[in-house]
Amino acid sequence: MPVNMNMRILIVDDFKTMLKIIESLLKQLGFKHIDEATDGTMALEKLKANKYDLILSDWNMEPMTGIDLLKHVRANPTLKHIPVVLITAESKAENIIAAKQAGVNNYIVKPFNAITLKEKLTAVIGQF
Amino acid sequence: MQLQPNLIIDRRQDYKSTYGDSHFDATTGHQVIKLFSGDYYISTQPKEMLATILGSCVSACVRDPVAGIGGMNHFLLPGEGPGLVGNGEATRYGVFAMESLINGILKAGGRKDRLEVKVFGGGNVINNSARIGSKNAAFIRAFLQEEGLRITSEDLEGDLPRRIHYFPETGQVMMRKLRRKEDLRIADEEAKYTRSLVSRPIEGEIDLF
Repeated sequence: MPVNMNMRILIVDDFKTMLKIIESLLKQLGFKHIDEATDGTMALEKLKANKYDLILSDWNMEPMTGIDLLKHVRANPTLKHIPVVLITAESKAENIIAAKQAGVNNYIVKPFNAITLKEKLTAVIGQF
Repeated sequence: MQLQPNLIIDRRQDYKSTYGDSHFDATTGHQVIKLFSGDYYISTQPKEMLATILGSCVSACVRDPVAGIGGMNHFLLPGEGPGLVGNGEATRYGVFAMESLINGILKAGGRKDRLEVKVFGGGNVINNSARIGSKNAAFIRAFLQEEGLRITSEDLEGDLPRRIHYFPETGQVMMRKLRRKEDLRIADEEAKYTRSLVSRPIEGEIDLF
């Protein structure tokens, strides 16, 4: 089944510059509906208020980190099905293992390029 | 009883990244940490001095004065990059360099709303029309504005390289512009790592920030 380019994507990062970059890359890839949050708490509020099909989140944020956001999403019956991709500088094996145990769908290590983003998204949502 | 060295956990590695070299300078009593392009360092203890030489590269000196935690990075946007809002590799590289430093300081106990930021470098030191230094300077200004981080002092652009000594404990920066004729000599001395920067009498004009 082809990927619906109208899917709603929530991007989460505490650096506004990074949000702009990720949004710009996603639009370049053809995605149209992108919303943003600046930490896990704000992301959860948005997730409860709106419907999203994919979450791309940073790891290191305050007050709620990306890994805690992931755990909240997986523990919530209405949200747990949403694919979550972490985009982070946390490249240590223990962090990747922790993210996998928490149910992450994929993992992008910063600094990343557009090709990596497309490859990882394809692995999660299918070819587009 | 057998020692168990594996039980010693160096918490610092959580937020401390790469740097060129580190040595103790007995003259000033400071641990001197040298940074090169791509490096960043978070200082959480007193009596450390972060040293670097900037051509077209930029360094940000970021500090939470209340928590007493500061750090510095040293980066260059590779190649030709579009504007800050663009999605070029170059911009992402710069954001990564800033994010690594700032997140490191936050992890060590700093708070974003207390950060003071000093920025240096971005000299157009190579005689060509690319003005790489100015592009790096434009990036750092735009990034900090976008993130709502205030620049408390800066010395950017111009056509001379700079030597920066940053004291995270106090936030003081000693900057010296390097005249072209002595560039090679200083670069050579840097490469040798035989003497500390501070143990050597510093000639010329030094600006404090």
